[in-house]
Amino acid sequence: MSGSLLLDRRLVVVTGKGGVGKSTVAAALALLAARRGKRVLVAEVDARERIAPMLGGRPSGPVVRQAVPGISTVNVDPRHALEEYALLVVKVRAIYQAVFENRVVRFFLRAVPSLAETLMLGKILHEARAEDRGRPRWDLVVVDAPATGHAVQLLGVPAALLDTVPAGPMRRDAEWMQALLTSPERTAVALVSLPEEMPVTETAELDARLGGELRLPRGPVFLNAMPDARFRGDERDRLRELSGTAPPLGPAARAAVLQSDRRERCVAQADRLVALLGRPALPLPLVSADRWGRRALERIADAMDGSV
Amino acid sequence: MGAILRALEGKRVAVVVGSGGVGKTSVSAAIALSRAMEGGNALVCTIDPARRLATALGLGTLGNAETPVPEEAFARSGLAPRGRLHAMMLDVKRTWDDLVTRHAPDAATRERILGNRIYRQVSGALAGSQEYMAMEKLYELSTERDYDLIVLDTPPTAHALDFLEAPDRILDFVGNETARKLFAPAIDAGRLGARLLQAGTGFVAKTLSRFTGSDVLNDVGEFLGQFQGMYDGFKERAAAVRTLLTRPEVGFVLVASPGPLSVDEALFFHDHLRTAGMPVAGSVANRVIPDLWLPGGALPGADALAAALAAALAAALDTARSGPPADGPTPAPTADLASRLALTLGQHQAFARADAREVERLRRGCPGPHAAIPLLDGDVHDLSGLAAIARHL
Repeated sequence: MSGSLLLDRRLVVVTGKGGVGKSTVAAALALLAARRGKRVLVAEVDARERIAPMLGGRPSGPVVRQAVPGISTVNVDPRHALEEYALLVVKVRAIYQAVFENRVVRFFLRAVPSLAETLMLGKILHEARAEDRGRPRWDLVVVDAPATGHAVQLLGVPAALLDTVPAGPMRRDAEWMQALLTSPERTAVALVSLPEEMPVTETAELDARLGGELRLPRGPVFLNAMPDARFRGDERDRLRELSGTAPPLGPAARAAVLQSDRRERCVAQADRLVALLGRPALPLPLVSADRWGRRALERIADAMDGSV
Repeated sequence: MGAILRALEGKRVAVVVGSGGVGKTSVSAAIALSRAMEGGNALVCTIDPARRLATALGLGTLGNAETPVPEEAFARSGLAPRGRLHAMMLDVKRTWDDLVTRHAPDAATRERILGNRIYRQVSGALAGSQEYMAMEKLYELSTERDYDLIVLDTPPTAHALDFLEAPDRILDFVGNETARKLFAPAIDAGRLGARLLQAGTGFVAKTLSRFTGSDVLNDVGEFLGQFQGMYDGFKERAAAVRTLLTRPEVGFVLVASPGPLSVDEALFFHDHLRTAGMPVAGSVANRVIPDLWLPGGALPGADALAAALAAALAAALDTARSGPPADGPTPAPTADLASRLALTLGQHQAFARADAREVERLRRGCPGPHAAIPLLDGDVHDLSGLAAIARHL
């Protein structure tokens, strides 16, 4: 990162391996930005909508909608993105219907490679640069992007179009999209990982691809679900001896040993990640957002405060 | 041998499906490993761009080549397989190119297609391309190789159904009848835009080219034209893949982590497979937090644990007194150790109970063979880790 805070960017893309807690981190970032008085939009990409419910609001569907005060959400899907984009281009709904709802044309548009990704990314980036009466529509747009491979596909769309598409409207769109995505002042890609062997490996590879072939400005790497240091080494040794004893002490000692061993492995993986990345990672506490909702998000936002 | 491995006995193909991040790759590799341990010739095929399987198998790169897992890797893990284990990582672009080469009527057409920029998009970046090529590769391997078992680790799709629908979706791209009829003359003339105008759809073409640029229209038209002669071959093959997947020698293994979203996805996929007549071999709940409070009922508070700790300490001191003299004083438990223990057990059990509920939901929703793999001590990144998983399958 180049000095400024992550949440002072206009666009923050959150991605990582499947199942590491991307949506949780995206929602917590939005919560923290809203606490700082920012007007925030969180965009999910053709997903089973999770952000708004996690925050305690109602799902928004494909149309931007306020989930809770300060935070709006949208679930971008290709069909609605096409309709919106086409209406921007042709202006008149009757023409849109005559042209774009024509069966052959629908087929034709599906055959245009990566059109779905282009439209979804285009809609999100459009929100990020939109202004209403001379004022940016959003202070911050957080993208809850798909997992690794699909995220690279999505974020690589403008560059791929610039490679393959000759002059024309799609190319012009690809140009401004790529400019916004690669601007270190306006954009950052934040990664989410877990302190485990394979997520760490995948995160380091993804980080290298984002910075390498995609040339995207990289933001922080969050290390989710980091267990806290709870037992001293001598306590753990003692508890390990006790973990075979009768209840209540045996099971409690066993739980403590599991927690403590897990902590040790996680610390080792966290160190490995930092070594692979060549920059620090931000640990987030182990909470279960699926089960605890808003309260868990507030805790994670607290843990992020001061670093983003 | 557990329920899942028994259900896969006699199967030649296992397709491992589930949402991202649930450990499909490890489960796939564990299934293949266990067949190799018993004397079979097994292959695990993964599609994962992050080379997780490569890491797990101690291999550098897998790149579309079936690679035997080296004997040293087994020896390091103290395993002596009676059969052979192979691994490969799917190279999506290569598989597309092979497919084109297989179906192209002549060398000139092949070269034109491989060089077409729309084709490069379709074969590389197009969503669903991975899923389609995974199926294609599975078909090729199952018809042209003689493995006793091929385990396919499916791509981490956001939507499980992408995997089944991708071939049709992509073939619709390249083979739509109406579009072919509409575009064919223009393709011959190399002037698609003009053809659209002649067809009396002038304003459609004008609007479209404002939308995509007229060169894109022409590119797509050209691509469709080149694919004309090959479409039937592709279509036949996709249909053959689908038929293969309904055969009794195939078994789908649904993998879920014990979280609500992952179980939802598995149940959704299960119903879809049943509807499509595809054989489900069983369901696996992976990384389940074990229940440690077997007495059941209320968990002990800090007071009860403090008393138990004091008693254990006294017993230890007794032993020390009757035995040889201790080197130093046994450290007294700090006052807050009992409350940290109570907190830790409480949190552990909260996770364990939530997991148990989800495992039960998966079991009820997917009747038939089932396995629950406990959260193992340590990450699975070598063959002994995979063997530990296999013991629970």
